[in-house]
Amino acid sequence: MATIVNLQEVTKDYGQGQALTHALRGVNLIIEAGEFTAMAGPSGSGKSTLLNIIGGLDRPTSGRVLVDGREIKDLSNTELGLLRRDRLGFIFQSYNLIPVLTALENAEYVLMLQGVPTAERRARVREVLAEVGLEGLEDRYPRQLSGGQQQRVAIARAIVSEPALVLADEPTANVDSKTGKALLDLMHRLNEEKGATFFFSTHEEAVMKRARRLLQLEDGIIRNNGATADIRNTE
Amino acid sequence: MNSLQYGWRNLWRNTRRTGITLAAVCLSTAILMASYGLMDGLMQHAVSNATNLVVGEVQVHAQGYLADHSIYKALNEPDLILEAAKQKNVAAAPRRYGYGLVAVGTKSAGARFWGVEPASERATFDLAQHLQEGRFLSETARRGVVLGQKLARSLQAQIGSEIVVVVQAADGSLGNDLYTVTGILKAAGDSIDRNAALIHAEDFVELFVSGDRIHEVALNSRGMVPLDKLTELLSIAAPEEEIKSWRQLMPEVSDMVNLFDAFIWIFGLIFLLAAGMGVMNTMLMATYERIREFGILKALGATPWGIIRDVAAEALVLAALGTVLGTILGLAGSYYLQQVGLDLSIFAGTYSVGGVAFNPIWRATISPKMVLIPAVLMLIIGVVASLYPAALAARLDPVKAIHRP
Ligand SMILES: Nc1ncnc2c1ncn2[C@@H]1O[C@H](COP(=O)(O)OP(=O)(O)O)[C@@H](O)[C@H]1O
Ligand SMILES: [Mg+2]
Repeated sequence: MATIVNLQEVTKDYGQGQALTHALRGVNLIIEAGEFTAMAGPSGSGKSTLLNIIGGLDRPTSGRVLVDGREIKDLSNTELGLLRRDRLGFIFQSYNLIPVLTALENAEYVLMLQGVPTAERRARVREVLAEVGLEGLEDRYPRQLSGGQQQRVAIARAIVSEPALVLADEPTANVDSKTGKALLDLMHRLNEEKGATFFFSTHEEAVMKRARRLLQLEDGIIRNNGATADIRNTE
Repeated sequence: MNSLQYGWRNLWRNTRRTGITLAAVCLSTAILMASYGLMDGLMQHAVSNATNLVVGEVQVHAQGYLADHSIYKALNEPDLILEAAKQKNVAAAPRRYGYGLVAVGTKSAGARFWGVEPASERATFDLAQHLQEGRFLSETARRGVVLGQKLARSLQAQIGSEIVVVVQAADGSLGNDLYTVTGILKAAGDSIDRNAALIHAEDFVELFVSGDRIHEVALNSRGMVPLDKLTELLSIAAPEEEIKSWRQLMPEVSDMVNLFDAFIWIFGLIFLLAAGMGVMNTMLMATYERIREFGILKALGATPWGIIRDVAAEALVLAALGTVLGTILGLAGSYYLQQVGLDLSIFAGTYSVGGVAFNPIWRATISPKMVLIPAVLMLIIGVVASLYPAALAARLDPVKAIHRP
């Protein structure tokens, strides 16, 4: 299996002097293609920071970060942008979507950046929107969709370009637990059927249980790095 | 979904703000177009008044005549000039000039006598219709005289007044005669007002014993022949004479035209810059409200250039819409000002600038350049004004932008 993420002794400090915060204190992590991995940890433990660094949105203070075989610190901002566009998918907590674009337009955004011809783009986006259960809602604007439907659009947008890795920062935090479970089912199915690699953060018990592998982040350090098939089996 | 469509949709997220900016762009463009038209109208009016009344577009004199106005410095071959003008269908009036004294009763004054051919003057200029009282000279010589406005006033002359004329004739003798006032000119520029005494060419020849001397040929095509073509024509027909265009003959009018031209551009640019500030402010507010969105777009892989393009396109849509509305409004305003004009007679009757009389109804002109130039400038300024907010948006740190509350 291909290694998609390889972190070695990654640290991240914010601020300086009195305000110095060690958000990450030496993270080592390997994520292989096809994984469905959750990262748990209390608020402030460094989950968002870690996801941002893997996603090339932020740079580590020290340590090595290899994403899709490329050393992040060797890449310019433009190259990082291209890496995000072509190899990564992002799902954020909420207000993920651009309000003036329809579900279809939001979902096709990355393909548009990639320069995929309109007809092909539309076809792929419609297919993926159908897969995430939004058939018939393609032309709705975000305000005409429920929170769960909006997150489905965000998921569609993240996977439509078939990235090597989808990063999701607490994707179910702003929806009710039933919707959260449905979103998780969806991601799970996309992982199994399409082989999409997911790495997401959460602090919800229910979500942790659905993960195949669960990391525990505490004060910027990974406490539990094991595969968690056993946790899943207790379901 | 291209940048322009995206910009269009984003603009209507804040209808009021966009509406206000749109109104500012629209009004600036319209005001600029209308005032450009008015200024241009004023200038064309000034130029045509200056040329059509009496000066013409080009004048030909003997070398040195303009410097000392000597009766002996006459054109060598005026017939060649008149012939050349005729071939090009350009009207031309030959004139003779001389100086002398005029007196009515106990009032006397110095005068410059114009020996004119009434038919040529009528065909070439508006002077024959430019009378305050009485009539212009008749086609046959009858010892009639038409006086400048101020000269008539200082002589207390009226239509029918007898005028005693005393001049130094070309043969050295003293010429004197009795003339009758047939007309008094309206204001026609300071020097004409003060000292012009127009008489028939035949009377002039008799009075001044000037033979076939002609001192000036004034040509006027009423804008039909470009100035440079006209001077070229004359320099071939009369290479040894002095050929002067109205711009050289009336430098104050020419300067005024240039000055007004510069003035309108400065004035217009200030207007457009103010509208540009409006666009910049709108785009600043719009990008500030959307920081989180820009962060998400960047996380998805949008490049800084892509974001600059989106913001600039939004400003372009705003400026273009404002410019189109402004052009419609501006054209409507200019059309009104062209057809009806501004009536300035409540401020002044006839007035003159730089010795040129103006009509109290001020009319605008409409030309493609006065529509295109403000419109294109407004578009450019609108887009340039958006580059600062665009650059701010493009440089946003995506992490901070996304995690903004
Ligand atoms: N931009 C920042 N500037 C300063 N401190 C930050 C910044 N981002 C995160 N931190 C700090 O880093 C730590 C980890 O934050 P974060 O990664 O957001 O945690 P989590 O996502 O697990 O809640 C926290 O103590 C937080 O206050
Ligand atoms: Mg977080």
